Amino acid sequence: MAFEIGIMTFGEITRDPVTGDLPSPRQRVRETIEQARVADQAGLDVFGVGEHHRGDFVGSAPTILLAAAAAVTEQIRLTSSVTVLSSEDPVRVWEQFATIDLLSAGRAEIIAGRGSYTESFPLFGYDLADYADLFREKLDLLLKVREQSPLTWRGHFRAPLTDADIAPRANGTTIPVWVAVGGSPASAISTGRLGLPMALALLLGPITSHEQTVELYRAAAEKAGHDASALPVSINVHGYVGRTSQQARETMYPYFAQGMMENNHQRGAGFPLSRLAFDAQASPGSGLLIGSPQEVIDKLLTYHELYGINRAIIQMGFGGMPQKEHLEAIERLGTDVAPVVRREVAARAGVAA
Amino acid sequence: MTAAPALAGAAPAAPAAGAALRVVVVNGSPNRQSKTMGLVDAVLSTLTEMVPFEASRVDVYRLGPGFTGAVERDDVTPEVEQALKRAEQADLLIAATPVFRGSYPGMFKHFFDLIDQYALANKLVLLAATGGGEHHALVLEHALRPLFGFFQAMTVPVALFASSGDFDGTMLLNPRVHGRIQVALTDVADLLGARAGNARTAGA
Repeated sequence: MAFEIGIMTFGEITRDPVTGDLPSPRQRVRETIEQARVADQAGLDVFGVGEHHRGDFVGSAPTILLAAAAAVTEQIRLTSSVTVLSSEDPVRVWEQFATIDLLSAGRAEIIAGRGSYTESFPLFGYDLADYADLFREKLDLLLKVREQSPLTWRGHFRAPLTDADIAPRANGTTIPVWVAVGGSPASAISTGRLGLPMALALLLGPITSHEQTVELYRAAAEKAGHDASALPVSINVHGYVGRTSQQARETMYPYFAQGMMENNHQRGAGFPLSRLAFDAQASPGSGLLIGSPQEVIDKLLTYHELYGINRAIIQMGFGGMPQKEHLEAIERLGTDVAPVVRREVAARAGVAA
Repeated sequence: MTAAPALAGAAPAAPAAGAALRVVVVNGSPNRQSKTMGLVDAVLSTLTEMVPFEASRVDVYRLGPGFTGAVERDDVTPEVEQALKRAEQADLLIAATPVFRGSYPGMFKHFFDLIDQYALANKLVLLAATGGGEHHALVLEHALRPLFGFFQAMTVPVALFASSGDFDGTMLLNPRVHGRIQVALTDVADLLGARAGNARTAGA
């Protein structure tokens, strides 16, 4: 497996903590598509759009944004990071991604998640009490739809399908489906049992914090008869590639702190992330993928060594990073970081083989 | 409703050994489907492989006004009296509860407030709790064990804790917790075996 490096965005609409400007949704959708184009030109492997049903994100319909991105890109894989599958109709999800797959000549991909943000449940009439059952059933249906059409299927949360003609089909043989895992042991185990690729989210904390998660995932996969070493694992993290170590931190800190203030609550309200705490997250032992290109290379290689990952997707615009700085980081990631990491990982694989 | 019927996973009465081992679960969860009972299901199905037993359950949140309105033992309705007796006469009591507001729920405590002071003396009690995160784990040692210390019960040395992330819905997936159940129940089986041996010697 070649090592893949990509970016993802939630299409944040956040007031710039430095200038005080609030970008318009129209500006943000255009900027999102521009990020995809620049990532593609910089040679990155993956572009992802997350799903959030709130006014401070423009990504409530990631498939529409991915379809627009398909039209301005050539090589890059287009994925959802994530599709909140529990509150979706898997048939519709398939139809949309298969359409993106045709538009992009086979570049569509689905990362299915339970949803760490749960706004979509009441919006589409689902009960949070069914959180686990919904995901299990809908993932099952999505995988069946992917496998075959016409399809006969029966479940608990929607009407049965009888010889249903579900179209279009994928551009090639299939569309990859990954499962997003936040780090709970049970999610890792059920994903491993299904033999599906795992997209692991690491927000903050020690770089080693998912060792057990990956261990449980691989063990569950082996036990269920899958070849665990052949299963891709990806790490999805926040980060920023700067010119220098110092410039990266100076640039990212105010935006990341803003994003955390708005999304990470204690006692029901946001709280300030101190620079000291931020710098600790940026240190070599922590998960944040930030720094000079060389620092980011080193940390990605550490991730690879720790978890045997095949892919890293980095979110660099959290908290409303201005477009100019965001695009510069995407270019550095594509031109300065990715080629070195791919080469180093390939060399490691060569030694191991 | 005073008690759930015999639980899935519980083995029938031992054919040879006379009266089957009575396992009584006191369930402190208010939910009909709960992680707490998911943990207990894993315990009972592991126990099935070790000893024959009959399990029953007391759902404290389903005991009704005859329970919640009772200030003293004399105040309870016959159904509640029967549930209390069942717990008092168990061979193995499984005290299982979610963590609420940093401890076991008041309803769970109310049940034990009505239990006779000496009814649990030297009784084998297995402690089990579930919580939103690992930071609740010591509720077993700092809240549950002292409660049964009062009763002079014989709490099983290994107590069981599982977090939300260890479950898919209410099904316990984390093999580390399953491993800990195995360890706890090995001790339980030893203790039960010793007691059965003593009883036979005394009866001979």
